[in-house]
Amino acid sequence: MNKLWIIIKREYLSKVKKKSFFVMTLLGPVLMTLIIVLPTLLQNSAKERYHIIVVDEIEKSIIKGDTISFFKGKFRSNDDLLFEYSDNIKEAQQLLSNGLCDGVLELVNTNDNPPIKSFLFYADNEPSVEVSTYIREQTKEIFKNSLLRVDYDMTSEDIQLINDPKIDFYAKDINTGEESQTELKTIVGFVLAFVIYMFIFLFGSQVMRSVGEEKTSRIIEVLASSVKSIYLLFGKIIAVALLGLTQIFFWIILTLLLVGGVSIAEPDLFKPQEQKEIQMSQRVVNVDVVDFDTMDTSIAKEMVQSFQSINFTLVISVFVIYFILGYFLYGSMFGATGALLDNDTDNSQFTLPVTVPMIFAIICVPMIINNPTGSVAVWLSMIPFTSPVIMLVRIPFGVPVWQLILSIVILLLTIWLTIYFAAKVYRTGILMYGKNLTWKEVFKWFRK
Amino acid sequence: MNNILEINKVTKSYAKKKAIDEVSFSVKEGEVFGLLGPNGAGKTTLIRMINQITLPDSGDIFFFGEKLSEKHISFVGYLPEERGLYKKMKVYEVVLYLAELKGLKGIEAKQRMDYWFEKFDIKDWWNKKVEELSKGMQQKVQFITTIIHNPKLLIFDEPFSGFDPLNANLLKSEILDLRKQGATIIFSTHNMESVEEICDSMVLINSSKNVLEGKVDEIKQDFKKGEYEVITSGSEIETLLPEGVGLVRKTIDNKGLCTSVLKIPKGANAEVLSSILKQMDILSYREILPTMNEIFISTVQRGEQTKI
Repeated sequence: MNKLWIIIKREYLSKVKKKSFFVMTLLGPVLMTLIIVLPTLLQNSAKERYHIIVVDEIEKSIIKGDTISFFKGKFRSNDDLLFEYSDNIKEAQQLLSNGLCDGVLELVNTNDNPPIKSFLFYADNEPSVEVSTYIREQTKEIFKNSLLRVDYDMTSEDIQLINDPKIDFYAKDINTGEESQTELKTIVGFVLAFVIYMFIFLFGSQVMRSVGEEKTSRIIEVLASSVKSIYLLFGKIIAVALLGLTQIFFWIILTLLLVGGVSIAEPDLFKPQEQKEIQMSQRVVNVDVVDFDTMDTSIAKEMVQSFQSINFTLVISVFVIYFILGYFLYGSMFGATGALLDNDTDNSQFTLPVTVPMIFAIICVPMIINNPTGSVAVWLSMIPFTSPVIMLVRIPFGVPVWQLILSIVILLLTIWLTIYFAAKVYRTGILMYGKNLTWKEVFKWFRK
Repeated sequence: MNNILEINKVTKSYAKKKAIDEVSFSVKEGEVFGLLGPNGAGKTTLIRMINQITLPDSGDIFFFGEKLSEKHISFVGYLPEERGLYKKMKVYEVVLYLAELKGLKGIEAKQRMDYWFEKFDIKDWWNKKVEELSKGMQQKVQFITTIIHNPKLLIFDEPFSGFDPLNANLLKSEILDLRKQGATIIFSTHNMESVEEICDSMVLINSSKNVLEGKVDEIKQDFKKGEYEVITSGSEIETLLPEGVGLVRKTIDNKGLCTSVLKIPKGANAEVLSSILKQMDILSYREILPTMNEIFISTVQRGEQTKI
């Protein structure tokens, strides 16, 4: 045991002292901070909105003999699009060619009844899918609203009710009586699964590389004559685990510091955005203001409710358990694989079987999120090679205790078996050079 | 003298091939023991078993009469043929680490490192990274890691490969020094000259089997063919030889000295000498002992013939 400790100490210290560890530890939080800050930053920066001038030249549309303007002043501007209006197509086109706006939308009246209008869009470039979809949606809505108002004499309240009937959808857990919050659970599940996937790969492959280094530098022969080879493998696996925890610890601390620092330096950055009414020019007829304040509070309330609906103590402890177990399962496999690799020969066929189950698991994640209690989800969260990822997807949605326990027991048993075989493969493979190994041969070592 | 190591009918196979087949021999305490054999004979497999890197399939290995076990690891020092150290680590860190793995405590390890680094004149490299060292330097460092824990049994696998002649000599005298201090040395090599020079006993492994073992002197005696080299003043030596003595070859140099190789049956020496002395002077007379190289080649070849 004393020797195991010496090995762990060396593995840990020599890796912590590496430049790459230092760089990764610093770079990680910077990247994470950017991920957190950048979207707000981009949103807040004076972003150029897409200016569209709507020209409704023939503003008289005849419905029931009345003369009204269908579209003028009806388009709703948003963060990305600003609608302005003009009566003169020539003037608007002139503005476009002078670069004073990004697009001109001309409404063409056909003399049908009801007047089905065509739209002509002029721009330097083709409008993005987002822009054209938005315009199309708006025109439909405006047309519908106008019909409702004029043909059916509806009040604007009625119209709003039809457009957004404010019907809430609640799902309740029959056992706890609590409301389910699927959206947040989906996000939490996906993030957890991805984090576990990334870490297991990151640290597992580090074990593999470290084993390979000792083999190619040939120091392994001296090491193996001093300690049992199983100590070498497990010293490495434990040291890399500690290394990973150190790195995660620093990442969290540094990210918090950075985000905290940024929010102190730029306190406005994280505040809910206030919508300002922008008077563009005299031509502006109407800029709709969306009531962001009320929207924010309702979203915030919903968020709090969602968070409360997840049992975070359970989720975090399950995450820690599966992270550690998953790492040991894959770490020992990666370690054994490292012993099979050789600079001189191509034995790369051995890395594939180790990585495939994990990749398969992460590909299955969207499917599992759609149906987190389905039989596929249950099976994949029992199979030890996919369970670390899949169980994490399922856990925010609630998993029966017996499934959780069974899955962990299966995982533990598999780890025990895997370690047993990994040690055998490691012991034999680590001293084998210049040989093109086959699976058949490696399986023979299992029986020894 | 006690046997420090006893190998008793040890067998080890890989896949279908037997790497070591019922090999037995013993190494006495304090001797330099040559473990010889052509490439692929199974020497490294045997050494790995003595180092407990791998275990024998059958048979036993005894260390000072006890069955070899984990507690004996710290009594053995091993310099493998393929050498290597952690390239990115500092020299003293590597040596310290390997010493600690052999059970040495930190402070003691540092003291011994001081001594050996001084002795090998590499004190300046203490704090350098291994990869900054020349190959020869790295070899020296590796040698120190092999002996730093004062092992009772030292195993050198082709120790002189990778050393220049100067350093090889230094190494040789160091090895003999260690022996003087009481260490037992196992030498695995196919360099027969070094065997003759420094080995007391030896075993020859060929095709996984022990084909020859014993004291180097005795083996040489066993392999001698009864041939003698005689240098005489006269050249007409053929006529003087008694019945049963054969002339293998004869050369005459420009000064008229005749060098002949004679095959003389046991007990006929006196007769031959007196017969020659009657006619001419004998300047030199010596028995030709086979070199280890010849013994090696003839034994290995004989093995090959019986195999066919």
